[in-house]
Amino acid sequence: MTETTFRPIDVKKIQKMLTPKKGKMKALLSFCAHCGLCAESCFLYRNHLDPKYVPAYKAINSLGKIYKKKGRVDRNQLEEMKELIFKNCVLCGRCYCPLGIDIPSMISLARTICRSQGVYGVFPYSAGEP
Amino acid sequence: MGETHLYYFIRGPLLWIAFFVFAGGIVFRTVQFFKLTRKKDPLIYSPTKNHKERYGKSSVQERKMQFAISLKNSILGQHQAVAIFTSLFHILIFILPIFLLAHNLLLYESWNFSLWSFSESTGDTLTILFLFLAGFFFFRRVAVAKVRALSRASDFFVWLITVTPFLTGFICYRQWFDYHTALIMHILSGELMLIAITFTKLGHMVFFFLARFFIGSEFSLGRGTRTW
Repeated sequence: MTETTFRPIDVKKIQKMLTPKKGKMKALLSFCAHCGLCAESCFLYRNHLDPKYVPAYKAINSLGKIYKKKGRVDRNQLEEMKELIFKNCVLCGRCYCPLGIDIPSMISLARTICRSQGVYGVFPYSAGEP
Repeated sequence: MGETHLYYFIRGPLLWIAFFVFAGGIVFRTVQFFKLTRKKDPLIYSPTKNHKERYGKSSVQERKMQFAISLKNSILGQHQAVAIFTSLFHILIFILPIFLLAHNLLLYESWNFSLWSFSESTGDTLTILFLFLAGFFFFRRVAVAKVRALSRASDFFVWLITVTPFLTGFICYRQWFDYHTALIMHILSGELMLIAITFTKLGHMVFFFLARFFIGSEFSLGRGTRTW
């Protein structure tokens, strides 16, 4: 088996993807009161009762991190996010935020960015396995 | 003398600055919101309308059941204590400062008009209730795992900004410690809170109404005519 070599992270490409939605995403991230009331609307959280399944946690620790670093993330960080946004979320769009924050769109953008850098949620994730 | 000068500065010019920043923040957030959103495209297929045309209006029993299900899945159905406490907390944070007797007396002294106000004992009781609720939220942030995982230092800082005006006001009313210092702290912290609404996540005061009433979604409270 040959070892897989990854191409380096294309920071410019990430930044290009971040810019058009910057206003919306920054507003959504900054108004999140971190109240944790979205937790029970996620059926995966109800099943696992693990804070890593709270919708806000997934959005803040994926897209929030990328915005905080202005797109300058490395592969390890994207790999860490992979579990949160591909395995811990199925993008069913059922998350309820009392403030009206659009959480699925944030996770969706984080997924798009990860995918553009070759970080995918592959089979065992899609079946809910670690 | 210095303290008196400070007192007149913070209840004069600084108060106006705080009010202007507060009002400017509300206007800025509103304009920003409408710039970031657009009118929703007209709905071509409406599942609910289609269902109604085919099967007629749902019966009273059906509607009762639908209401019961949505209530069970709401925050009120899931966390009764949090829902009630957070509603009370947010109502009090609005009405307490506006209808407090002492504030209205100051208003009367300055401009010769005053609003309806609580009696002194009611204001005092409500402040104690507010502080209790704030304590509950602090406890929740520290003790509940899902909230603790989300909490950052900034959350505690914002909590402090919100609670300090009420705590110092409570101390002022009881005249504990040095009254003059407590009063200055009270005014300063109140102004800080007004300014913070523009710059911190306390901006959800504006965002809540805009997002929940204008953005169309399953949970929108208004007509939901706009989209991101």
